[in-house]
Amino acid sequence: MTEDPLSPSEAPRGYDLEVRHLTDRAARMGEWALQMVHDGWRAFDQGDRQLAQNVLDRNGRLDRLDDEMEHAVIAFLVLRQPAAVDLRTAAGLLKMTTHMDRIGRLGYDMGRLTTPVTGPRESPELRALLQKMDDVVESMVHQALEGLEQGRVDLARDLFHRDDEVDRMNRQAQRMVIGEIGTNPAAAARLANLVLVTRHFERVADNACKIAEKTIYAITGQRRTEYLPRQAPRLLYDETS
Amino acid sequence: MAALESTKMSVDHLSAYYGEVRAVENINLQIAERQATAIIGPSGCGKSTLIRCLNRLHETLPGARVEGKVLLDGENLYDLDATLVRRRVGMVFQKPNPFATMSIYGNVSAPLRFNSRLPGEEMDRIVLHSLKRAALWDEVKDRIDAPATSLSGGQQQRLCIARSLAADPEVLLMDEPCSALDPIATAKIEELIAQLKTDYTVVIVTHNMQQAARVADYTAFMYLGKLVEFSPTEDLFERPKEHLTEAYITGRFG
Amino acid sequence: MKFDRHGRRKIFSHSMTVLSGLAVVVILVPLVAVIYEAVVQGGAAFSVTFFTQRPANPCVAHPGIACPLGGVYTPIEGTLELIGLASLVAVPIGIGAAVFTVEYGRNRAIARVISTTADVLSGVPSILAGIFAFTLFLQFDKAIVNSTLDGSLALAVLMIPIVTRTCEEALRTVPESVREAALALGISRWKISVRIVLAAALPGVVTGVLLSVARAAGEAAPLLFTVGNGCLHPLQGINQQGCALPLWIYWGATSATTNWTTLAWGAALLLILMVLAISVTSRLVLNRWVRRTQGG
Repeated sequence: MTEDPLSPSEAPRGYDLEVRHLTDRAARMGEWALQMVHDGWRAFDQGDRQLAQNVLDRNGRLDRLDDEMEHAVIAFLVLRQPAAVDLRTAAGLLKMTTHMDRIGRLGYDMGRLTTPVTGPRESPELRALLQKMDDVVESMVHQALEGLEQGRVDLARDLFHRDDEVDRMNRQAQRMVIGEIGTNPAAAARLANLVLVTRHFERVADNACKIAEKTIYAITGQRRTEYLPRQAPRLLYDETS
Repeated sequence: MAALESTKMSVDHLSAYYGEVRAVENINLQIAERQATAIIGPSGCGKSTLIRCLNRLHETLPGARVEGKVLLDGENLYDLDATLVRRRVGMVFQKPNPFATMSIYGNVSAPLRFNSRLPGEEMDRIVLHSLKRAALWDEVKDRIDAPATSLSGGQQQRLCIARSLAADPEVLLMDEPCSALDPIATAKIEELIAQLKTDYTVVIVTHNMQQAARVADYTAFMYLGKLVEFSPTEDLFERPKEHLTEAYITGRFG
Repeated sequence: MKFDRHGRRKIFSHSMTVLSGLAVVVILVPLVAVIYEAVVQGGAAFSVTFFTQRPANPCVAHPGIACPLGGVYTPIEGTLELIGLASLVAVPIGIGAAVFTVEYGRNRAIARVISTTADVLSGVPSILAGIFAFTLFLQFDKAIVNSTLDGSLALAVLMIPIVTRTCEEALRTVPESVREAALALGISRWKISVRIVLAAALPGVVTGVLLSVARAAGEAAPLLFTVGNGCLHPLQGINQQGCALPLWIYWGATSATTNWTTLAWGAALLLILMVLAISVTSRLVLNRWVRRTQGG
C-alpha cells in the first residue's frame, strides 16, 4: 500500500471495536433467524409437531434480539455521533435487523402450518423442488450474513442474481401446485399450505437481498438505484419465464 | 452546487503566506449566495488564514501576503480598495470584541458613525433593525446606552454580529464564533445563522464538526493548507469522497 | 547542631528586616525634612496677597524699615504661560509620534528609532534643553533670546519624550482585538488610530500629559538662560522676558533678602502642592478608567 505523504497516521479508535461488536451481534441474530427458517421448513415438510412448537418458542428470543440491537445501535448513534462509514453502518444495521426479524418470522410462519403428514401429500417432484428452494434461500441468507460479517461487497452483489433463480422456482412451484390440486384433490389442504410456503421462501430470499443492499450501502455508500438496473415489476403468472 | 444557486464569492488559486511560510495552498472554492458554507479541519490546517483572505484582513499582518484571486460577484477583491471590501464582507471573531469604551448603541452605530454621515433618526432605525436581526433587541431594548461590557459573553457576540450587520455587508464571515461561548449561547447563535442566511451569505470556520453539520449547507474540509474536499454538507458527512476526509470526520486523526 | 543553624538563620532574617526598615527611614527622612521645612517656612508666606500681588522690591527686614512681601502672582502667571505654550507644541508632537509608532510603524525600523530617541531624550539633563532652545533662537532672532517663547521651547523639548512614552504605553494597552474589530467594519486606518484607539487610550494619554506638565512646571535649569527675568513688572508679551515659579525659588533663595527668601519658600510649597495635585488627579483619572473598562 503506497503511503500518501499527506495522510496522517491513523490511530485505531476505541469505538472501532464497538462497530465490530454491533456487526457481529447482528450476524448472530441473522443466524438465529436462519435456523428458524431451516427448522420451520423441516417441521412442515416432515409434519413434526414437536419441532414446530420448538420453532415457535424461539420467536420470543428473536424479538428480544431485535430490541437489543435497536437499543445498542441507538446508543452508539447518540454517544458517538458517527459520520461517514460508521454512520452508514449503524443506519444499515438498524434496517438489517428488521429484515432478519422478518426472516425468522417467516420460519415461524412455516412452522405454524405444520400438521402431521398422514394422508395424501404433494408429489415427490414438488417436494424436491421445495427442498431445493429451501436450500437456495438458506444459502442466500448465509451468504448475506457472511458478506456482512466480512465486509465483502462481492458476496452481497452476487445475491441479486440468485434472487432471479428463486423467482423462477417460485413460479414453477406455483404452477405445479395448481396442476396437482386438479390431479390430487385429496391433498388439497396440504397443497394450499404449500402455496404459502413457496411464498415464504420467496420472501426470505427477498429479505436476504435487502440485507445485502444495506451491506453495500454501509461499505460503499451506494444506494440500490446506483448499481442495479430498475426492473419492471411483473405479474406472478406471467408466462414469459 | 444546486442549479438554482448562484455563486457569491469565488476563490481562485488562492495561496497565503506568512513571510516564507505558505499557510494556504492553491485553494479553489465557490461560495454559494445566501447559503452557509462551513470550513472545517484540524488545528493549523489554514482555515482561519483562508477566511481572513476573504475580507483582506490577512494582509494587514506584517510579512503576510496573498497570491491568487477572490472574486465577489465577479470582481477581484484584491483589485479594489481594501477598506471598501471590508464594508461588503464583514467578520465576527472568535472572542467577542465589542468596543469596551462604547455603549451598546455606540457599538452598533460605530460603522455608521465612522463610515458615513447619517441623520440621527436614520441611525436609530438601522441600529434597531440590526439588533433585531441579531436577536438581541429584546434583551437590550431597555438599556441601550449601557456599556457594552455589561453584557454576557453570548450577548456580546450577538452585539458584534449586530454591529457587523449595521455596516450592511453582503457576506458575513465568522471565525469560530461560538468557541468562547457556553452551549446555550452557542445554540442561539446557530439558530441566528439559520435566519441570517435568508439575507446574507455566511461563511463559518469551525473546529466543531457537528456544528458544521447543524448549520452549513456546504462544507469544505482543509488539511495542511490544502482544500481536500468540498461538498454539500450531507454528502460530506454521509459519504465523503476522500479517504482523508473520512478519516478526519470519523475521528481517526485531528 | 540543628538548633544552631536554625537560630543563626533566624538572627540573619531579623537583622535583614531591621536593615531594610532603616533604609526606608533613611530615604524618608530627607523627604519629610524638606516637606516639613517647606510647610513651615512657606506656609508662613501664604495669604491672599501672596497669590494676587506681584513681588515687591528686594529688601532686608530691619526693625523700623518696612519690608513688604508682595506676592508671587507674576511667577504663577509666567509658569502658566510657559506650560501652556510648551503643551501646545509638545502634546500634538508627542501624541502624534506615539500614534505613529504604535499604529503605523509596528515592526518597522522607524518606530524603534522614534522610541529609542524618546527614551534617550528623556534622560538628557534638562539644562541641555535650555541650551538647545537658547542656541536655536540665537540663530533666528537675537531679539527674542530671553523670552517666554524661548523658555517654552525648552520646556517642550523636555515634555515631548514624556508625552510620547506614556502615550505609547497607553496605546499599547489597547488590545489588538479593538483594531481588528474596527478594521473588519471597513473603518479607515487613520480613523481607527485617532477616533477609536486613541479614544480608548485617552485616560492614559491624559495622565501622560499631566505628568509631563507636572515635570515642566518644576524645572528651573532649562529656564535659567532662556526666559530672562521679567518677574518684577507685569508680563508684556510672549516675545518679552518672562517669569517662572522654579526660577523665582532660585533667585529668592540665593538673594540675601528677607522678603524674597520668604516668597521663595512660599513658591516652593506652592510647587509641591501643584505637583501633588496633578499626580493625584492623574491617578484618579486612571483609576476611573480602569474601573470603567474592566468593570461590568
